[in-house]
Amino acid sequence: MNLLLDGLLVLALLWSAWRALASPDLARAVVLFIVFGLLMALAWARLNAPDIALAEAAIGAGLTGALLLDALGRLQPGTGAPAPESPAQPPANRAGRRWTGSVALVAGLLAAALAYALFQLPAPTVRLPEQVAANMAASGVDHPVTAVLLNFRGYDTLLEVAVLLIALIGLLTLGPAAGRPAAPGPANPLLKALARLLVPLMILSAGYLLWAGAHRPGGAFQAGALLAAAAVLLHLAQLLPAWASPGRLLRLGLAGGFLIFLGVAAALLAEGALLTYPPAQAGGLILLIEAGLTVSLGLILAGLFLLFAGAEERP
Amino acid sequence: MNGLLDPLPWLILLPLAWASLAFLLGPGRGGRLALAGLAGQLALALWLARRLIEGGPVSHAVGGWGAPLGIDLYADGLSAVMLLLTQAVALPLAFYARAYFAQGAGQFWPLAGFLLAAMNALFLAADLFNLYVTLELLGLAAVGLVALGGGAEPSRAALRYLVVSLAASGAYLLGVALIYGSYGTVAIAPLTPLIAAQAPLAVGLAAGLMLLGLVAKSALFPFHFWLPPAHGGAPAPVSALLSALVVKAAFYLILRLWLGPFAPLTADWGWLPALAGAGAILWGSWQALRTPRLKQLVAWSTVAQLGYLFLIFPLFGLKEPALQAGTLQAVAHGLAKAAMFAAAGILLKATGRDAVDGLAGVAGRLPLTLFAFGLAGVTLMGLPPSAGFLAKWLLIDAALEQGLWPLVAIVLAGGLLAAAYVFRVLRQAFLLAPEAQQFHPVPRRLEWAAFGLAAASVLLGLRGVELMALLGIGVAP
Amino acid sequence: MSAGLLYALAGVLLFALGLGGIVLLRHALRRILAFNVMGSGAFLVLVGLAQRDGGADPVPQAMVLTGIVVAVAATALALALLRRLPEDRP
Repeated sequence: MNLLLDGLLVLALLWSAWRALASPDLARAVVLFIVFGLLMALAWARLNAPDIALAEAAIGAGLTGALLLDALGRLQPGTGAPAPESPAQPPANRAGRRWTGSVALVAGLLAAALAYALFQLPAPTVRLPEQVAANMAASGVDHPVTAVLLNFRGYDTLLEVAVLLIALIGLLTLGPAAGRPAAPGPANPLLKALARLLVPLMILSAGYLLWAGAHRPGGAFQAGALLAAAAVLLHLAQLLPAWASPGRLLRLGLAGGFLIFLGVAAALLAEGALLTYPPAQAGGLILLIEAGLTVSLGLILAGLFLLFAGAEERP
Repeated sequence: MNGLLDPLPWLILLPLAWASLAFLLGPGRGGRLALAGLAGQLALALWLARRLIEGGPVSHAVGGWGAPLGIDLYADGLSAVMLLLTQAVALPLAFYARAYFAQGAGQFWPLAGFLLAAMNALFLAADLFNLYVTLELLGLAAVGLVALGGGAEPSRAALRYLVVSLAASGAYLLGVALIYGSYGTVAIAPLTPLIAAQAPLAVGLAAGLMLLGLVAKSALFPFHFWLPPAHGGAPAPVSALLSALVVKAAFYLILRLWLGPFAPLTADWGWLPALAGAGAILWGSWQALRTPRLKQLVAWSTVAQLGYLFLIFPLFGLKEPALQAGTLQAVAHGLAKAAMFAAAGILLKATGRDAVDGLAGVAGRLPLTLFAFGLAGVTLMGLPPSAGFLAKWLLIDAALEQGLWPLVAIVLAGGLLAAAYVFRVLRQAFLLAPEAQQFHPVPRRLEWAAFGLAAASVLLGLRGVELMALLGIGVAP
Repeated sequence: MSAGLLYALAGVLLFALGLGGIVLLRHALRRILAFNVMGSGAFLVLVGLAQRDGGADPVPQAMVLTGIVVAVAATALALALLRRLPEDRP
């Protein structure tokens, strides 16, 4: 029964991904992609990965979807109208068809070989889940995913925050967007009321997620994503203007979480190596890092959307 | 041991720190901070090299856990040489960039800082997933730098670069996923004996996907198509950083995986990268001979010179000389190409346009810059006493020893072609300037930075022995 | 067949679909979608394959969290670049 459910979910995933790439209408493609993201969140829930499910729903489907819809609004004059050029048009000539055919063949062969290889796989030799379980007591938190993310593989996370920061700096490099902005129009009063109601709740939930991350699914990434979603909602309800170029305070907010993380990592060198938490202080230090990250990640993720999203609203 | 006195983590922390502080200071700020940071990094790299010479390879267990639960940093001779090259090229380029961006550097300093942090982290990584994160950091920082040029053309080049880079990282990540599924770890040290003992089909496919992704990132022919617009269109300090260093990071990782964990799988496949390398030398040089634009010429020359790096792969029957030839070529080309792009940037500023035809008369106006360009050319052609000569000599020697005559022919032909495109520029520069030609004044500091890099690429040939001794540390026979 | 293996197989198919899309699709926005599909496929293989005997493995789960964040960062940068291109040839 469960396998049947999983099978149906897998089919829906494949179908939505295929349609998102093959649909001739760009707007429909984006909507299908958001559907794909939500289905991915379901798949993560089925795989006993609630942390990823939360992140996928908020970031993979939510924020990415908002970014894609915004980009779509700039590429296309009217919403819902088909794209000016038909991008998925069939290749005109025989050479083009042959190229399409051979790429599809190679991709198909790769998938077949990989699928065949997966069935042949022996059981893995190293058992990391057992090692994680054995060292949980010294990690400073009770939730294994948070322990891996902030302690055992905290160095990955440090660099990952740098990746987010660099994407934001890249956006700053690009300056205000060219192209047609989405029509500002008067804000929907219903949306405004909804935003006023929801945003305080979202901020509260973000605080809860941050605190809960030590014990159960949640943590800085999910909390930050929720804060970003709140900011995007406020912007859509025209209660929060877009950012033109961040001032000093905002820059401090954007980089602060990373700098705290970096500072803690460097200070802990005194314990023998980078990011070596003393077990007694591990819980507190991780909470400090996560609190900083929640604010900064919220601002960065919001910034990915808000920077220049509505540059036309300002003179 | 006190971790505060270990150069490994500081080589990563220091650039991360100055990059984020430069961001805090605001657009255009942070140049002086970067210079101080880079000087510190160069000192750290030298300190690391000394440690290696005294005590062999070193590692650093981040978090104190140790692989496979935690992430280890690891440095042997190969990492140390690449780290030295990176800091040694970046420091003069920072001097250059400060003078070049007199009108405002925008976000150059934070982007460059994160780029260098990613490079250092990559050279020190000993964990396949950690390497994925460093590759993404490197890729996004490089794309941001390309977009610094402004306008539609650089944006298009940056977008194409980004899409190739993302697809390549995606292939690499799938390989990592397959390896974790097969063995339950992604740390390189425990993986190496496991792969040697038993490698199911999934691992072979994983190795193929990861190496292919890295080849695309290193712009090896026929995956070179994104490089000339991206490197040729960016501002000169960016072109220099990308062409001299960033493509080498992917090459380093290919080498590391090829000779390390994937060695049991790759032994019979060395001819394939060599074939692509030969294609790169011929096609890249041919395009460099044809293009009307100066920076495109230098960028196509990068495509060609990267080809030499991949000629060493069938020669690993004798591991040490082949590794020496490849690494020395990477170092020589890094210094020379940084010098050449720096010189091209000066010529562009002086003549006001990016055209080989527009160079007439610069020999009289900017002799130092032209001399730098010529010296860098000497390294690329492989004339003595340059480091390029030493690299090509080692390559030919290794090829002769193993009876691979076609490789010798390719190396010699590549040298002649390099001479042809370098002289194409020099000949134009020595023509008399037309009456209407106007020259803009150029800060002297720009010229000295370019000259310093070019001189280093030639003089390094005289210190090859020391470099080879460092490189030999930690190489399994 | 376990659920983990089933999702890993789905991941392989999504990866191949996305890879083909990146090579074949002409519109940059579609290539960005294709990259995301490809990445999701790799994530599913990472977690699904590690959990093919049932049970949760926090290590690949944490890696995928990292990967999702990297993917959104890359997508945002790609879309910002896309906006700067002139309208006639996206």
